[in-house]
Amino acid sequence: MDFSKSMSVAASGMRAQTERMKIISENIANANSTSATKGGDPYRRKIATLTTDFDRELGASLVNAGKPLPDKSDFRNQYDPGNPNADSQGYVKLPNVDSLVEIMDMREAQRSYEADLSVMDSTKQMMAKTVDLLNK
Amino acid sequence: MAIPAAAAAAYRAAAQMGTTAASSAVTPAGVPGGNFSDFLSGAVKDSINTIRQGEQAATAQVSGKANLVDVVQSVNAAEITLDTVVAVRDKVVAAYQSIMNMPI
Repeated sequence: MDFSKSMSVAASGMRAQTERMKIISENIANANSTSATKGGDPYRRKIATLTTDFDRELGASLVNAGKPLPDKSDFRNQYDPGNPNADSQGYVKLPNVDSLVEIMDMREAQRSYEADLSVMDSTKQMMAKTVDLLNK
Repeated sequence: MAIPAAAAAAYRAAAQMGTTAASSAVTPAGVPGGNFSDFLSGAVKDSINTIRQGEQAATAQVSGKANLVDVVQSVNAAEITLDTVVAVRDKVVAAYQSIMNMPI
C-alpha cells in the first residue's frame, strides 16, 4: 500500500537522523579530549553524511546514514605549559570541535526528526480516516 | 491477542454461510480470481501476518534487539490492519443481519 511506503521513507529518515545524532554527541562529548600520547593528535571532529538509496522493492528513495568523514580543519592550540601533553613551546593541541556548530547541527537533526515524525503522524491519520469510511 | 483469531473465525463462519446455504447457485462459476470467501480468507491471512509482525517487533524491542522506529512502524501497520479487519467484520455482520431481518 502506498501509505506504508511513505511510512517506510519517514522511518528511514528517522533512523538516519538517529545516526547523525550519535555522531554529534560523539563530537560534543570529545570536545576537550586531548591525545593519550605526548605530541599526538587529539580527537578529530567527525562530519555526519546522509546518502540517498533507491529501494527497488519498495519503489521509493530512502535516506541512509553514510560513513562519517573526518573534519580536516586545524586543531585548536592552547597555551598550557603545565599540561603533560604540552609540546616544547608549551602548547596543547585540542580537538577541532566548536560547541556552537555542534549545537546548531544537533538542532537541525532534531527538527528533521520532528518533521519525519509529523509525516508519520499525518500518514497515520490519513489511513485512519480512510478506514473510518467503512464504519459509516 | 485473541481478536484476530476471533475475527478470522467470524469471517470463516460468515463466508461459509453463504456458500453452504446457497450451494453453487450463488457462486459465480468461471469468474477469474476466485469467489468471495477465497478473497476474504486471503485478506484475513494477510492481516493476521501483519499483526503478528507487529507483535514480533514489540517483543524484539523488549529484549533490546529492535530499533524503536521499526517497532513504531510495525505496530502502526498492525493497528491500522486490525481497524480495517474490525470494520469489514462489522459490515459483514450488518449485511447478514439485514438479510435475516427481511420479511418473507
